[in-house]
Amino acid sequence: MSTLLTQTLCKSFGSLAVTQEVTLTFESGKRYAIIGPNGAGKTTFFNLLAGNLKPDTGHILLDGRDITSLDVTSRARIGIARSFQRNNLFAEMTVHDNITMACAIQDNVAPVFWRPMSGFAAVHDKAVGIARQVGLEDDRHTAVRHLSYGSQRQLEVALALACKPKVLLLDEPTSGMSPQETARMDHLIKALPRELTVIVIEHDMDIVLEFADQIVVLDYGRVLVQGTPAEIKNSAIVRQRYLGEEGVAVGSHSAQRPSP
Amino acid sequence: MAMTRNNLRLSIGVAVAVLALITQLSTGAFAQELFAEAAILAVFALSLDLLARSGLVSFGHAGFLGLGAYTFGGLAVLQNWPPSLAMAAALAGGIVSGLIIGCFAVRTSGAFFIMVTLAVAEMFFSWVFRSPLFNGADGMGGVPRLDMRAMGLDLNNPKNFATFCILICICVWIFAEYIIVTPFGRTLDAIRQNANRVSAVGGRVFSYRLAAFALSGAIGALSGALKAQHTNFLSPDLATWVVSGDVLIAVVIGGMGTFVGGIIGSGLLVYLKEILSSNFGHWYLFLGGIFIGVALILPRGIVGSLLDWLDRRNARNNPAPAREEEA
Ligand SMILES: Nc1ncnc2c1ncn2[C@@H]1O[C@H](COP(=O)(O)OP(=O)(O)OP(=O)(O)O)[C@@H](O)[C@H]1O
Ligand SMILES: [Mg+2]
Repeated sequence: MSTLLTQTLCKSFGSLAVTQEVTLTFESGKRYAIIGPNGAGKTTFFNLLAGNLKPDTGHILLDGRDITSLDVTSRARIGIARSFQRNNLFAEMTVHDNITMACAIQDNVAPVFWRPMSGFAAVHDKAVGIARQVGLEDDRHTAVRHLSYGSQRQLEVALALACKPKVLLLDEPTSGMSPQETARMDHLIKALPRELTVIVIEHDMDIVLEFADQIVVLDYGRVLVQGTPAEIKNSAIVRQRYLGEEGVAVGSHSAQRPSP
Repeated sequence: MAMTRNNLRLSIGVAVAVLALITQLSTGAFAQELFAEAAILAVFALSLDLLARSGLVSFGHAGFLGLGAYTFGGLAVLQNWPPSLAMAAALAGGIVSGLIIGCFAVRTSGAFFIMVTLAVAEMFFSWVFRSPLFNGADGMGGVPRLDMRAMGLDLNNPKNFATFCILICICVWIFAEYIIVTPFGRTLDAIRQNANRVSAVGGRVFSYRLAAFALSGAIGALSGALKAQHTNFLSPDLATWVVSGDVLIAVVIGGMGTFVGGIIGSGLLVYLKEILSSNFGHWYLFLGGIFIGVALILPRGIVGSLLDWLDRRNARNNPAPAREEEA
């Protein structure tokens, strides 16, 4: 049971404020979706959560412990796992070897230099299970570069699942997928064990509204609104901007932007 | 059953080993000196190539070779240590210096790593170049060879020494091949392919690279200890950047990351140096020309290109997505 908390998180790239005073609570076992237009700072927020970036100010707490100063590796070790928006795989390995690698690292098998990898049956079994979970069981011996883009996206999620996560961060898991692949990923996300805290960045509103307990709308690095799917659907500002309601000029976007 | 990359690589390795052992026995003393030299360079090449598996290419590897040579020679000549102990000390020296230098070197990568390793090797060079302890630039003679007479082997005999060096090279090769199928070795491969993802799944990239660097340092020092025994002489020249460059050429020409490629490259380098230097004045010019030619025709090195060719052939014969194995 893990609760992830951010307190007034801020991050700027030069003069571009990409994360602005984001204070959010991700309760254990709940499903969250983060939505927002391109460049809203969604991926940057994940980079802050996973430790790829250090916040300029603010804190991140996992189960009450301040983890702001932990690096990526340490956060992955305490259960914050992520998938990437751009496929970020072991390109020369097979699907099975990719997943096995992640499992071996998580299970502290990776430092072993006196026994061949083939001898670690438990790790291999685990990798087979994860391949099945993401729907890659038939492609286990395919090299990453021979995989379709959609299958690479599935493997991307598999590597995150292999990390024994408590908090799972998925960055646009369905982007670039065919409708069938999207449906399968949708199914996979819904079938994730309930004790897992899941945060998904997703553009597909059908998936988001159906899957999420809570939706966070990011806009220019700020939390615009958050609430249940019903609340978000009924929120005037979200309706105007993201659910394609009529009569809203694109210009209103920049008009509301806080001046630097 | 199609030949896999791994099987082809291992088969070439076995063929080279058998060929070297047999040919070496039937040649004269002069050729045996060349065999020993090539085997020692091959051990050095394996050291560089093992590190390269983790994605780090060193341009200061002569530092480890020099350190191994001077540790061995210094202890054996100046302290009268038995050569076997001195050799163990050289290996330990390689590990310890690898850990110390690695602590800051492996935090960098790419061009910065090249600069750091080069700088450290040059520091070592300038130290032994001036140090009165080892006769500075003049070098120091009288370095003994390992005493294996108890086993009926006099290593002062060129044939025996060549056999000994080839056997050590084979052992190091088997060791390297074993390491890369262990979880540790697979993690080095993963780090080479995508260090960021290794961190993201909880792998401490720094620790693995540090371990690889220390291991590589030990093997590099071993080749240095052999080199000192081969020439019976310690010279600061052992630690110059030219030595680092030569081994890098041997590995690149043979095929980086293939292990046996570096061994073939070493043999080629020693052989070409010998025939070119005895026939031409500007032999390095010819050598350079030959290597540029090979690099242009076979951009992934001799063995690397052969393995790529195998991949393409297998893909053609087997329309289903090719089964993959690591290089
Ligand atoms: N490392 C960086 N250096 C400079 N600017 C960056 C960096 N990373 C992101 N940005 C900028 O920050 C803004 C937010 O980027 P981010 O990737 O977080 O957006 P996003 O919400 O994930 O968008 P998308 O939906 O396109 O993935 C963008 O304007 C981007 O150009
Ligand atoms: Mg993004």
